[in-house]
Amino acid sequence: MIIEISHFLSVLAAGLFFLVGYFALFTSSLNTAYLSNLISRTYSHGFLFLICSFIIYVWLAITDNFSVQYIANHSNTALPTFYKISSIWSAHEGSMFLWIVFLSLWGFIFNVTVKNEEILKAKSIGIISFVIVGFLLFLLATSNPFATILPIAPLNGADINPVLQDPALAIHPPTLYLGYVGFVIPFACAISFLLEGKTSIKWEVLARKWSIAAWVFLTVGITLGSWWAYYELGWGGYWFWDPVENVALMPWLAATAFVHSLSVSIKSSQLRVWTILLSILVFSLSLFGAFIVRSGIIDSVHSFANDPERGLYLLAFIGIIIFISISLFVLRISSIQSKLTIKKFSKQSFISLNNIIFGALIFSVMLGVTYPLIYEYLFDQKISIGAPFYNAIFIPIVILASFFLFFSVDSKWSRNSSFSFLKKPIFLSLILSITSTLFVMIFFSTKNIPILLSVFAGLLIIYRYIYEIINYFLYKKFINPFSVIAHMSLGLLIVSISFNSLLSSERAINIYINEYEEYKDLKILFQDLGVEEKSNYDSIKAKFLVEDIKGNKFNLNPEKRKYFTRGQITTETAIHVTPLRDIYMTIGDQLDDGSWIVNIQINYLIRWIWISALLMGLAGIMLIFSKKLRA
Amino acid sequence: MKFLLKISVFIIPMSFIFLFFILLTNEDSYPGADYDIYEIPQFELKDLDNIKTINTDLFSGDFVLNVWASWCITCVIEHPYLMRLNSKGIPVIGLNYKDEREDAVIWLNKYGNPYKTIIHDFKGTLALDLGVTGAPETFLISNGQIVAHFQGEVNDLIWKDVFLPIIEERKMF
Repeated sequence: MIIEISHFLSVLAAGLFFLVGYFALFTSSLNTAYLSNLISRTYSHGFLFLICSFIIYVWLAITDNFSVQYIANHSNTALPTFYKISSIWSAHEGSMFLWIVFLSLWGFIFNVTVKNEEILKAKSIGIISFVIVGFLLFLLATSNPFATILPIAPLNGADINPVLQDPALAIHPPTLYLGYVGFVIPFACAISFLLEGKTSIKWEVLARKWSIAAWVFLTVGITLGSWWAYYELGWGGYWFWDPVENVALMPWLAATAFVHSLSVSIKSSQLRVWTILLSILVFSLSLFGAFIVRSGIIDSVHSFANDPERGLYLLAFIGIIIFISISLFVLRISSIQSKLTIKKFSKQSFISLNNIIFGALIFSVMLGVTYPLIYEYLFDQKISIGAPFYNAIFIPIVILASFFLFFSVDSKWSRNSSFSFLKKPIFLSLILSITSTLFVMIFFSTKNIPILLSVFAGLLIIYRYIYEIINYFLYKKFINPFSVIAHMSLGLLIVSISFNSLLSSERAINIYINEYEEYKDLKILFQDLGVEEKSNYDSIKAKFLVEDIKGNKFNLNPEKRKYFTRGQITTETAIHVTPLRDIYMTIGDQLDDGSWIVNIQINYLIRWIWISALLMGLAGIMLIFSKKLRA
Repeated sequence: MKFLLKISVFIIPMSFIFLFFILLTNEDSYPGADYDIYEIPQFELKDLDNIKTINTDLFSGDFVLNVWASWCITCVIEHPYLMRLNSKGIPVIGLNYKDEREDAVIWLNKYGNPYKTIIHDFKGTLALDLGVTGAPETFLISNGQIVAHFQGEVNDLIWKDVFLPIIEERKMF
């Protein structure tokens, strides 16, 4: 009975959201306060129904109600409550449910906090509602999480994939989803702006805070995913150019370009065409991500559902959304073009360059994702596009972008500025970066040009902003703290990635119990090996004592687990974290002669990759709560 | 110019949608399979431990030959199924394709070894003669002859639809 109530509530919510959309977009007299009030209230009630439905569903999962098929398939009584809840988004149906709840949550917060721009707000709410209706129909028609096993429910459920029983992974999908669907708000604002067709309406101001918030969630979500893959999958990398990572990266790139373009449109009403196009692109790419992941069209380590019917529905849905929004865009394009020309070397000019650069990156990733599919269709052969392709494209473009960023620091809004390499800040940071890069080259005796150039580019950004900070403290020269933090983090990110790929190394060693092995500056003693039986898995746990060159001693205990329910074998990595490097160890098989194979990696600056990504997110959070956006 | 811009803004996303529509509704369910029968090419390569020399004589009985590499993501997905084939007693020979020895050993230690023997084809010469274009690819070999070839991930579905009919027809294994 309780399951049906939950199910029914979400059906009711779909009906209410449809009404909201209808009121907002298909009634002519929007100007009345009565109607916009009606739209706002109906939306809130729709949200109330949906959130109640979801809360009941969570409760069903906590109380092990295995008559719900989805819960029976993805949870069991032995799981801690935390993982019972996170099991909801461990597979397709529940993920979509959460996705929709988040979508309506963004709309709800938008609905209750925005007090100005009545017409724009009402129309945006209407568009958000139609998007929710589309997804709710998808959920209820093709992937119903409320399907039941009747009359007799199983006594216990299946297990969730042990790889997914991890705190980072329980938090990472919701964070990403919040980012993805958050872009529905700028999208809805842009579309309602196009519908209204009045150039005087400043939809960009309304959308700004929301766009940055969604961008922060996306940034943090991707970082969490990268961190999880590092310690849980046992591959030891932070990025694999996996299709599912790529479909998260594309909206992130588009969103980054979008928030930059947005600031220009707010400041000087220029680049409005770009900004609108980017807002459509970000949201389309988020939906495209959902499509790629949910249709199972691409082989991936994430491989989730494989169901062409779901894929077709989502594809049709995305197609309709893109068709309508691009048609509107093409109709209105001439009226929104700014009459002002962009001055040479002004901030605006750099941001429009930035749009082009990010556009090129997005297109390359899109090509990398789709090319194997096209190739397979045409030539009946499978090919794999991996890191070499993306490195070849990303490294030069990112270096180029870094140079532009470096010079943009000296540019002014709406004004020509002249450039001279003899200007003190430019000259100083160039000299410092060149000397530091030369030092890196000699100290590490490397001739790897792409890496050295990346180090140079990253340092250039960092030094340039350090100069700005010093100037601020000495002469009270104005700086934009959010821009400084975000861009310095980018510099730090580039430098960390470069050093990581320059210095990191790995090796598999053969080692007997009670024996020493040496790798680089490490002395590794294999002390002991224990076999343990746990409630849902058997485990082999090795004990190593590692001593580094400074005489620091620490234990590393890599583990191998075999889970009973699925027979899956997982490796639990052992990681010793220091600020500069991680010592990363996984244990392999035992050889016939009794020795064990152990894989050791030394990963330099890998923590700084995540820290710099999080710092970028922090800059976004500070911006949201700053005075600048409170207005 | 402006017209061109409008048209391209419209056409680019729509063509992506169309492309995916074609891909999704593509009825040809096993595009990677072919059943040409041909001889194993002559070769002489080392095994993965760089100890034994392997040549064409190895393929006297019935085998599954699986092309894999440590850099291949799909191989990780395919891997559990190969383990299952191995535990069912079906001999699987690995052809390690364009891969460093050390990386391949690390990979096997991490996931387990489903292969009876592994041929290390660093330059991809044997793979080239076999008509391999990437990894993973899987061949069915019966007495020195290739009787089925599949490009892409082998799973239960592929096994039953692509390989099993041939195996039953030829009474292999």
